[in-house]
Amino acid sequence: MNNTNEKYLKIFLGLFSMTLMIYIGTTLLKRARVDFTEENLYTLSKGTKSILSKLDSPIKLKLYYSKTAANKGTEGLRAFNNHFLYVQDLLRQYTGHSRNNLNLEVIDPRPDTVEEEEALAYGLKKFNLTETERYFFGLVAENESGTEKVIEFFDPNQKDKLEYDLTKLIYTVLNPQKKNIGILSSLEVMTEDMNGYMAQIMRMQGKNVEESWVVTKMLKEFYNVKKIEKSTDSITGVDTLVIIHPKEFEEKTLFAIDQFVMKGGNLLVFVDPHAVVDRAGAGMHGGVSSSPDAGFKKLMDKWGVELKAGEFAGDKHLSASGQYNPNLPPSRLLALINCNETCTSSFEDTVTSGVNNSLFVYPGVLKVSEVKGVKHTPILSTSKKGNSYKAQGYELNNPQALWSKFSEGSEPVIMGYKSIGKFKTVFPEGVKLEEKDKDKKKKKEKVEILKESKKESAIIVFSDIDFLTDQFAFKKSFLGPSVANDNSTLFLNSVEALSGDTDLLSVRSKGRINRSFDVINQIEFEAEKRTADKVKEINASIARFQSELNQLGRKANEGNIAILQNEGIKKKKELAKQIAILKKELRAVKREGREKIEGIGKIFQYINTLLVPLLVIGFGLYYSKKRKRLMQGQRKRADSNSSKNNTSKLVEAKE
Amino acid sequence: MMAQVTKELMIKEFKSYFKTPLGYVFLVIFLFGIGYLTFEPGRGSFFYMREASMSAFFRYIPWMFLFLIPAVSMKLWAEERKSGSIELLLTMPITVKQAVIAKFLASWGFIGLALLGTTPMIFTVGYLGNPDFGVITLGYLASFLMAGALLAVGGFFSALTKNQVVSFILTVVACFVLIMAGSPPILEFISTLLPKYFVDLFESLSVLNHFDSIERGVFSLSNFWFFSVTIFFWLFGSIVLLNENKAN
Repeated sequence: MNNTNEKYLKIFLGLFSMTLMIYIGTTLLKRARVDFTEENLYTLSKGTKSILSKLDSPIKLKLYYSKTAANKGTEGLRAFNNHFLYVQDLLRQYTGHSRNNLNLEVIDPRPDTVEEEEALAYGLKKFNLTETERYFFGLVAENESGTEKVIEFFDPNQKDKLEYDLTKLIYTVLNPQKKNIGILSSLEVMTEDMNGYMAQIMRMQGKNVEESWVVTKMLKEFYNVKKIEKSTDSITGVDTLVIIHPKEFEEKTLFAIDQFVMKGGNLLVFVDPHAVVDRAGAGMHGGVSSSPDAGFKKLMDKWGVELKAGEFAGDKHLSASGQYNPNLPPSRLLALINCNETCTSSFEDTVTSGVNNSLFVYPGVLKVSEVKGVKHTPILSTSKKGNSYKAQGYELNNPQALWSKFSEGSEPVIMGYKSIGKFKTVFPEGVKLEEKDKDKKKKKEKVEILKESKKESAIIVFSDIDFLTDQFAFKKSFLGPSVANDNSTLFLNSVEALSGDTDLLSVRSKGRINRSFDVINQIEFEAEKRTADKVKEINASIARFQSELNQLGRKANEGNIAILQNEGIKKKKELAKQIAILKKELRAVKREGREKIEGIGKIFQYINTLLVPLLVIGFGLYYSKKRKRLMQGQRKRADSNSSKNNTSKLVEAKE
Repeated sequence: MMAQVTKELMIKEFKSYFKTPLGYVFLVIFLFGIGYLTFEPGRGSFFYMREASMSAFFRYIPWMFLFLIPAVSMKLWAEERKSGSIELLLTMPITVKQAVIAKFLASWGFIGLALLGTTPMIFTVGYLGNPDFGVITLGYLASFLMAGALLAVGGFFSALTKNQVVSFILTVVACFVLIMAGSPPILEFISTLLPKYFVDLFESLSVLNHFDSIERGVFSLSNFWFFSVTIFFWLFGSIVLLNENKAN
């Protein structure tokens, strides 16, 4: 009995010491690790480290996670548990790089406690798991002076942007004031504030009321937005300048923009080889309103960014369907590019990452040339199979003509660039001001002309303007305009990125490397194309029938009307038959594509479930047979040996 | 490094898996099962998700191991003890420690072979898309380490009893607890019995947490420490048990 007790004690002690060793060891060794992921998901980027190194006062980080509540939830909460571990992991790395300025506290708010009340007061998102249990998963950052910023909820699907969000949070706690954004445009993107009621009354009176674009209204929610006039001497009090459709700016305005950049201001520029929105600027008869004009082009040349005039980016695989004319059926249009993650993911840039559904209209082609001290990074492009095409005037309104000019390319066409660095002025001599403004001139002479950037600034250029307009970025809904795609996100992301630190700008999105099944996508695309061809064929035969019928109608007179009617009916029957055949083919095409994909799935399923097991069975049978034969052989040998022995014994006996 | 006797016994034990149909049956069931679960019809299926990663595959590895490993480990000692061949084994010039290590390594090698049999899956994702091969390699490493830890546990229970079925069932239960140790419902249950500190201790035992942590692509020394300590202690336990039970 004593012996058994001792045994149990030993086992218990063994288990206990093992648990303790594991617990202590794993806690101590947690930080010694290697990140093997291609995206470096678990390593901090340079920009973050640089911002953390600038911390000089303590910031408190409170990570709220309802762990106890999550434990009561379903197994499905494991995804959140895993994400929590990831967030906590990353935050620990932040504190590790902060020279003890960051202080992380993990809080598990239980129902009806002070912690829960605080979490609610901070505005964290709350989910009710059961009647009593509530689930929180957010972060609060607080500095000494009481400024607090919050991430309401961590979404596991936004994992790739997590580092950017965290760094931004810390950055905004350090720099809490609202940023100033200036808007300069040749278009009426921002009008005087007028409330909706007044505008409606004026419209009822038959007056033409220009309203601000919705994107600028959205901008006002986050920033102090200031309109910069087309004719301006200097741009001050603005952190980031947004320039939309730069054309017909006065020389002094150009000079002001130039000096703004020299002072380290950041620019967001939208140019377009064909701005559909600018109908007035396009003039009559198929004219095209394009920007930049020669004046602004000089500035862009100095930055090393060029928009190819009369050239457009196209992509068969990303072309969206639409119609030029309500009488035509909708079809895939080369002019529309519906960007998915293939346009942005490879660049792993925070400005464009997460922008997976945006629509561009006649986007242009951007090219960069090397400028000393400036780094250009592409942030938006077509897919690899995109290409550029040249078109002008009436051609632009003819979808078929555009398609005939397009051929598939092998490299992505860039539609957005980010340039960071120190730029040089275009006006080393300054500009002449108008004679009559003598007082001002005197003042101006005193102003120092900066010939080179004092500090780094960032310029982002996109080659489309129309994607910002209400028509393409928003849809009308019962409650006013609502976001239709990621176009406005792209705009806000860019402004946000530029109004932060350049360090923040360089925090890479972890990126999502495209890991979809390329082979399957290709098959699907081909099937889709063939389906579209069949649909086209059907429509063509219907149109042909229509015209034939019309011709018959024209021939009709009193004498032959009965005959013609008969003929018409016959033709109609023929057409119905033809369409039925085509529709059958259409179904077959669709089915074929689907079956092909399913077939591939089946093949891989068989390979992965049956191939190796069958090999194992085959090997087993072969091996056992071989062993049997070997054993039989051995036995035979043994038998013959023993019989030999017997005979020899017999022989011996005889002797 | 390894004593010659250990090596020889290990090779003999490894070969013994292929001398009876049982070894083949285990391999076939494992390979077919994991393939079926990966491609299982439903929303979580590999082909439905259309993502060129092997997460759909590795997700089921712990659950396949839950049955495969006890099946492989149950005969390690129980059979020898029942038939009495253990006496014969231990009269040979080999220590208990060497025998335990040899048998453990042989069974680990067998599981390694089973994992090797899933290579068509790597070619599948490689053909269909553009997977992260670093993460896949770590996934296999995680599976192999987890197999080692669970086999050590299984070896211990096999040494505990003479009955293979009892050994199998005990191992399944123990493995289940170790796998589920980090799972929310189990932690909730434990927290009703024990103070919070013990819950954390218990959670640190979770095989699945460490498996997941390597499988997602980060190899930490703490994971390595966990698996090594687990393997070491359970093997040590088997050695102590066998030394004690030599007499009966």
